[in-house]
Amino acid sequence: MSTATSETVDTQAEAAVEEEEKKQGTFARLWFQHYDLVILPMIVILLLLFLFLYVGTRDLDTIEVRVLAFDNVQGLLAQHLYLVLISTILVLVIAVPVGILLSRRSARRLQGPVLAIGGFGQALPPFGVLLLMAFAFSFGPTTAIVGLTLAALLPVLRNTVIGLQQVDQSLIEAARGMGMTSRATLFRVEVPLAVPVIVAGLRVALVLNVGTATLASYIGAGGLGELVQQALRLNRINVLLVAGGIIAALALLIDWLAGVAERIVVTRSG
Amino acid sequence: MNYLDYLSSNSQQILFLTQAHFLVVLIAVGVGSAISIVLGLAVSTGEPNPNRFSLDWFATGIREGSLVFTAALLTVPSLALYALFLPFTGLGVTTAIVVLTLYSLYTVLRNTVAGLTTVDRAVLESARGLGYSRMRRLLTIQLPLAWPVILNGIRVTTLISISIAVVGAVVQGPGLGTLLINGISRIGASNSFYQVLTGTLFCLVVAAVFEIFFAIVQRLTIPRGIRV
Amino acid sequence: MSDTADQTVVVPESGAGRSDMIVLEGVEKIYPGSTQPAVSQLDLAIAQGDIVMLIGPSGCGKTTTLKMINRLIEPTAGRILLDGKDVTHVNGDQLRRQIGYVIQQGGLFPHFSIADNIGVVPKMLGWDKQRIKERADELLHLVGLEPSTFRDRYPRQLSGGQQQRIGVARALAADPPVMLMDEPFGAIDPITRDRLQDEFLEIQRTVGKTIAFVTHDLQEAVKLGDKIAVFATGRLEQYADPDTILTRPANDFVSDFVGGGAAVRRLSLVELAHLELHPIETDEKAADSRNGVAVAEVDGSGKPVSWRHLPGADAAGTPLVTVPISGSVYDAVDVMLDGSASLVAVVDDEGRAQGVLHWNDLVGGLRTRKGDA
Repeated sequence: MSTATSETVDTQAEAAVEEEEKKQGTFARLWFQHYDLVILPMIVILLLLFLFLYVGTRDLDTIEVRVLAFDNVQGLLAQHLYLVLISTILVLVIAVPVGILLSRRSARRLQGPVLAIGGFGQALPPFGVLLLMAFAFSFGPTTAIVGLTLAALLPVLRNTVIGLQQVDQSLIEAARGMGMTSRATLFRVEVPLAVPVIVAGLRVALVLNVGTATLASYIGAGGLGELVQQALRLNRINVLLVAGGIIAALALLIDWLAGVAERIVVTRSG
Repeated sequence: MNYLDYLSSNSQQILFLTQAHFLVVLIAVGVGSAISIVLGLAVSTGEPNPNRFSLDWFATGIREGSLVFTAALLTVPSLALYALFLPFTGLGVTTAIVVLTLYSLYTVLRNTVAGLTTVDRAVLESARGLGYSRMRRLLTIQLPLAWPVILNGIRVTTLISISIAVVGAVVQGPGLGTLLINGISRIGASNSFYQVLTGTLFCLVVAAVFEIFFAIVQRLTIPRGIRV
Repeated sequence: MSDTADQTVVVPESGAGRSDMIVLEGVEKIYPGSTQPAVSQLDLAIAQGDIVMLIGPSGCGKTTTLKMINRLIEPTAGRILLDGKDVTHVNGDQLRRQIGYVIQQGGLFPHFSIADNIGVVPKMLGWDKQRIKERADELLHLVGLEPSTFRDRYPRQLSGGQQQRIGVARALAADPPVMLMDEPFGAIDPITRDRLQDEFLEIQRTVGKTIAFVTHDLQEAVKLGDKIAVFATGRLEQYADPDTILTRPANDFVSDFVGGGAAVRRLSLVELAHLELHPIETDEKAADSRNGVAVAEVDGSGKPVSWRHLPGADAAGTPLVTVPISGSVYDAVDVMLDGSASLVAVVDDEGRAQGVLHWNDLVGGLRTRKGDA
């Protein structure tokens, strides 16, 4: 909107143009900051739409109809969400406090070893961990929840510790300098500033749990993985596609929700 | 039969599966990284000027779009992706490699973009001031300086891929996951626990081999002036 | 706005008889999205071999002007001539290889060795390896860094001052006739900066480049510049030699910018070697103290150590301080203030007395010159 050539522009018109530009600027900025939040649901919707259209044009045999019956899918979905929810809450309750404890001066020495063991543990495949848990204890949802919790614990613990480490040391010094106790500094300065990182870790845990929970069906804990297993066992490609599509959509949706929540938290805490 | 007996009497199978696991990950991450780096280089550009339309707009669009898309791919549980590709690429190694390749895109792409754009502005400006063309800047200044970041992305992706490759056994992909599926489908049979244990633990062996491999690659490929 | 008529006794006129190396004609820059030109209708000619300092408050367009010369920033209007050739539309990358460029942060390539950093432009110009290597060593010598020590090091192993020397060497590598410098000593500590400036002048005496130099430091501009171009919000306010800028600012903006202390700053422009000094006698020749001539005692090597006789002053109570003749009046004043002495002995390179400068004739001398001009 350069007006280099026209020098006798009505000033009022120019002001209006500027106002318009400012509005566009705000919108453009919002769009540039958050457009990814719009793209993802669109991908999910397209994915599901495509899937339903495809399945709708197929003649399903009785086995397929039975497996894909609404009740069956809904039950598995509920099981899946249950596993994810409980294990994520457990991760939250365990990992964040332990992370805070590890960031205390007295426990700093433990940080290195814990993070190192954590990194090592992360290299273990969650599928293997889950199956070993089943062998060690029992088959079923309880074991699955313990396994899921263990698998997601380390990433969140890591995030919490690193998040607290990253808090600007001068802020902590300033807080202590103003006479805040170490406890007050932790809860009023360090933790609030580390919240974005901790929330990011939770999001990671959530995504990991949704993924690992698909494998819980292999230890008799149900969930949407059951659909895939049934499809493979019965050799039904249509079921396979629907199962994969639903799982993918669920994971994307949960991640999206977590992402929106994260964006809000991060914006709030500046 | 104790665990050591199991290991020694099945050493050939275990060694073979470990090698297969290593190779599948190596191939998939190699292909995925190559795609990501080339894409990252192709769409690397400055911030586009909001007031003037240019090719930079396309580059930025493709860059941001592929980042969102590949990040979304990484969110999809591996079992779902294996299931979705099975009808098209069939049971076996192809599906395993295709899925692993898709998973390895995001981290490398993100690190490539980040590495290329965080190169010291003073260095880029002086390169331009000395008469470096855009291509020459990209390939002889930005890429070498971004390489440590890119390489770390490849390393992280590799470690993730080792775990994901295990699940590939569900669609009869090669590797240590085979031991897990065998073990779990023969619960109660002798050695079924050992099989699962071996399949899990030997992933650590594969990870360790990769770590050594990356330590060597780092040593060989990161320019001396920026080695930490 | 070129101001060649303004000449003074102290600083010899610098542009006469030489062709203009860099010419900007009606150059203008309007950044996209802005209606206000960053640089408007600029005419500026830089004579071959001159150092021209571009100075002004931030946002005044001095850096934009500099970067338009090598077309890092494309001018919106106007022409740029280098050595008489219009370069406004030639290939920018090719052009920049013919122009040295030094920036504040050094901008050395961290993954290149020092020798490779110096050799970047020669390499692009297709020199052979042996020649590039010899050139790098030659330039390391020139900037005062031992080639065998520094050749194979990497930038991060060097101090800020050393990095900046390499930056200058790199810009000189392909022997470009023109150099552009964007606050090259801006991020260096004051003591090192002073030394780098001296070295820079020394190098310039050997290489005789045409240099455009952006700075925000008036002291630096006065010390280094053959001419100074003062900018204000996209306009060139005055373009003249340092003495004129300091003594006869063209308008209020320039005089505000130059600010107080201009007279003191100007002292650094007056070289002791150009002054008529009072005679000084050493003790052997002055057995009978003569009135009106200072007599100093010298040590075995002929260096003055104390005053034997001072006209109209207490010789025993006055400390003898010395200043090298290569220095400026500014240095002499500094020494006098520092030593609480009302006069200073000016000595040559060997430390032998050449003359005396009194506090009083310093003041008188300045007044005389101002009357002249």
